[in-house]
Amino acid sequence: MKHHLMILFLACPTFAQPKFYPDDPLEREPTPRNVEKVLNRKLSDYYDLFANQFGKVGQHQPEKGPPIVARASVNTLGEPMDGAWYVKRHYYRRMSAEELKRGPGDANPPAGAKWTVVSAKTEGITPGFTILDEKKQRYFIKFDPLTNPEMATAADSIGARFFYALGYHVPENYIVHFLPEQLELGPDVEITDSGGKKRKMTINDIGEILTRVPKSSDGRYRATASRAVAGKPVGPPRFYGTRKDDPNDTVPHEHRRDLRGLHVFSAWLGHDDSRAINNFDSLVTENGRQFIRHYLLDFGSTLGSASDKANSPRSGAYFFSWKSSAQQLFTLGLVPPYWALAKYEKHPSIGLMEGDVFDPEKWVPEYPNPAFQNRLPDDEFWAAKQVMAMTDDDIAAVVSTGKLTDPKAAAYLVQCLIKRRDKIGKAYFAKVLPFDRFRLENGALVWDDLSRSVKDARVRWFEFNNDTGARTPAAGPSAWAAAEITAASRPGQTIQIYIRSGTIVGLDRTW
Amino acid sequence: MSKMNRLVTSLFLLPFTVTAQAPASRTEVIEKERDAKSAKLEPDEVNEIERRLRNFKDAKYLERTAVGYNGLRIKFGNMVTGGGFAAGPEYYRQDLMGGQLVARASAQLSTKLYQKYEAQAVLPRLANGKVSLEGIASHRNYASLQYYGTGPDRPKELRTNYRLEDTSIDGILAAEPIRRIKLGASLGYLWTNVGPGDDSRFASAETVFTPAQAPAINHQPNYFRHGVFAQYDYRDNPAGMAKSGGNYIMQYSWFHDQKLNVFSFRRMDIELQQFIPLLNKTRVIALRAKTTLTETDRNEQIPFYLQPIMGGSEDLRGYRPFRFSDRNSMALTAEYRWEIFSGLDGAVFADAGKVFPRRGMLNFRDLESSVGFGFRMNARNTTFMRLDVGFSHEGFQVWMKFNDVFLSRRFGTTTGQPVY
Repeated sequence: MKHHLMILFLACPTFAQPKFYPDDPLEREPTPRNVEKVLNRKLSDYYDLFANQFGKVGQHQPEKGPPIVARASVNTLGEPMDGAWYVKRHYYRRMSAEELKRGPGDANPPAGAKWTVVSAKTEGITPGFTILDEKKQRYFIKFDPLTNPEMATAADSIGARFFYALGYHVPENYIVHFLPEQLELGPDVEITDSGGKKRKMTINDIGEILTRVPKSSDGRYRATASRAVAGKPVGPPRFYGTRKDDPNDTVPHEHRRDLRGLHVFSAWLGHDDSRAINNFDSLVTENGRQFIRHYLLDFGSTLGSASDKANSPRSGAYFFSWKSSAQQLFTLGLVPPYWALAKYEKHPSIGLMEGDVFDPEKWVPEYPNPAFQNRLPDDEFWAAKQVMAMTDDDIAAVVSTGKLTDPKAAAYLVQCLIKRRDKIGKAYFAKVLPFDRFRLENGALVWDDLSRSVKDARVRWFEFNNDTGARTPAAGPSAWAAAEITAASRPGQTIQIYIRSGTIVGLDRTW
Repeated sequence: MSKMNRLVTSLFLLPFTVTAQAPASRTEVIEKERDAKSAKLEPDEVNEIERRLRNFKDAKYLERTAVGYNGLRIKFGNMVTGGGFAAGPEYYRQDLMGGQLVARASAQLSTKLYQKYEAQAVLPRLANGKVSLEGIASHRNYASLQYYGTGPDRPKELRTNYRLEDTSIDGILAAEPIRRIKLGASLGYLWTNVGPGDDSRFASAETVFTPAQAPAINHQPNYFRHGVFAQYDYRDNPAGMAKSGGNYIMQYSWFHDQKLNVFSFRRMDIELQQFIPLLNKTRVIALRAKTTLTETDRNEQIPFYLQPIMGGSEDLRGYRPFRFSDRNSMALTAEYRWEIFSGLDGAVFADAGKVFPRRGMLNFRDLESSVGFGFRMNARNTTFMRLDVGFSHEGFQVWMKFNDVFLSRRFGTTTGQPVY
């Protein structure tokens, strides 16, 4: 019997899955399953705040032992696959300045001379309303605060285009200027007053909302018109767990590279309001299939804007943390946090934004985000390489979509983003070997050093057994090969490249 | 086949079965994960706690409580220091005449049975918002206000108490001809009455002090009063928690005794506030100097309950409320505030001040002092609660208040009344 069992286990190599399959690396997620029933559920922002701030939601990195890498959400090259969450864009295929400015689309601003108000928002951070244009397209109209004309609308426009170029699904945001006469009230529109009571909306309510927002000298109002995304809204995705009603949502969100890496993008763009309720799920139909697409929404609180006012100088720090609070309490505030030392140029249309004190390693959103907290150096590198792919001209092109009338303000914002970009590259290109875009040229493995600073890289070749994962030293590439890249100047940092018949099929990084 | 043989055979077959089902591609791996997920799909509803929190917010209970039902709501606090926790109904409308008229009426009762009734109507947006006109009437019945005697050297053991009842009606016209500068005038009538205090732990004032020591303790005057005021206010957040700028107020009021003709007086209030921001307004040094100076004609006196007072939750915080009173007062406050976390500021402060009988004694000699620390809870740039602990040579005091320490007071003759 013992012999039988021994033979049994020795005869079981077929239990082990190969490291690479014939279709690796996948560029796109497989065709999504049809989503039959899905719940349009609303989240509680209070719960999201308290659960993340004081609870432990999602699966966090273990305190000891190997970390949980974001492997399940990426292909074998470590890249998120094009699909419901993410699409490879600027870094992978350079977008022209026009494409960057176009973002998710620029062909559908609100049409016609008359816009019909179908609902209004009087509560919340900023006032606004929903309109139907003459083509019956729906737009959400959002304004700047009186104290900071152009600020929130510029941030909404610029933020959407940056996040689009970085690969996310975002709505089409247009900066519009309109006269109050363009607005007409739809039939039976209700409004909730400041006391929470619903009543029929009147044209005076629109006038009242407009008294609370800036008006230009020609009598027009500047606003963001955010086009309603296609499909049926089904509530925002969280930054942890999966949707229980979505068969395609199989990877816990806190382990998705595109959400872990979002930390770096958010730090760059000052998106401290990156919380669940600013995400958006839409049930869309494509090629006869219904599936959920995941969007990022509402960029009015990016850059130097906090939507209804200029950013707080503590943007980039948690609302609350035990350690910082205790330190501030017992030192009487005489040991100020690093962000309190920042100096800001005064531009009302920018708000509070700077790049000198900014530290991407210290930046955090308003409260803990499990996906951000789980990020590892390879997640950060994945994001940093995309940020660094934004040239000065690219940044200027996207900033121009904010239509800031003060050129000094626009130039200052560009400079801030350049400084912040460079700090991101410096921080995250130091944690892993900053090599990418691997390719074989004339039998030699070549790559781009994104930091242009590592001069002592060397390659060791191995034959690679795809079934067992075993490697044996080799003189050069073979049918199945592995190349290990190291650099004496970067101890502990390695890259394993896997090559099948002259095609790079896999990449692993260590640090 | 024996059980053992069946087991062994099954085990042998297992790997081949697994091989047959093992995915042949990455796509198949992902599809299998989707299969597994599809087998256990369920509605993605939120949990019970989240559902309740969501519904609580959606129902707007807080907003409804604040705004009320058809203008009717509950008013909390805003009672004189030492009066206990106060609550009562308030009718508040700011949507009358298309938003041109704000009206308010309230009745409050405190845990110490203090009563306060107010009615107010304001036209805040006359002349394109540059002029406002306000009418306010109030009746107050405070059962046991503290009184230690008039003069700077009254011992704390001399604590007595008295009842204050007064009724007033005032009109206030204010204009803002230049941004940040407000000028105004007020006109009103005040009926006063005092009586024995309700707090049996302490002597009632009339049993300890004679009318010579406590003017008007036996007969109370009624007043026709009028005044003028000016304000220059460039604080960054006048309605809430200021972190930079300044606020300078001066007002002068005349009180004409209409009943006894011996208690007429004139009163000048000056208050200077300065806020010095540090480190992007995450730390603030808040400074305040204020004085109240009064004068009377020869042989006239100021009723003890209308004399300037010192001590309490806003100045000399290490002393009991109403600890000092005399014909004049001055108070200095320096407060260093720093952000502990978003929503909570710490504060350390030093207060100094004195009351004095003659205006010539307005100087920095013989100041009483107190120091202390505190916390300010803030939401949306407004302090909604503060806790201060003040220390002085008379001990310590703990204050929990639902306002800012540099409270913006009403303008006009209503400030001639000693307690708020």
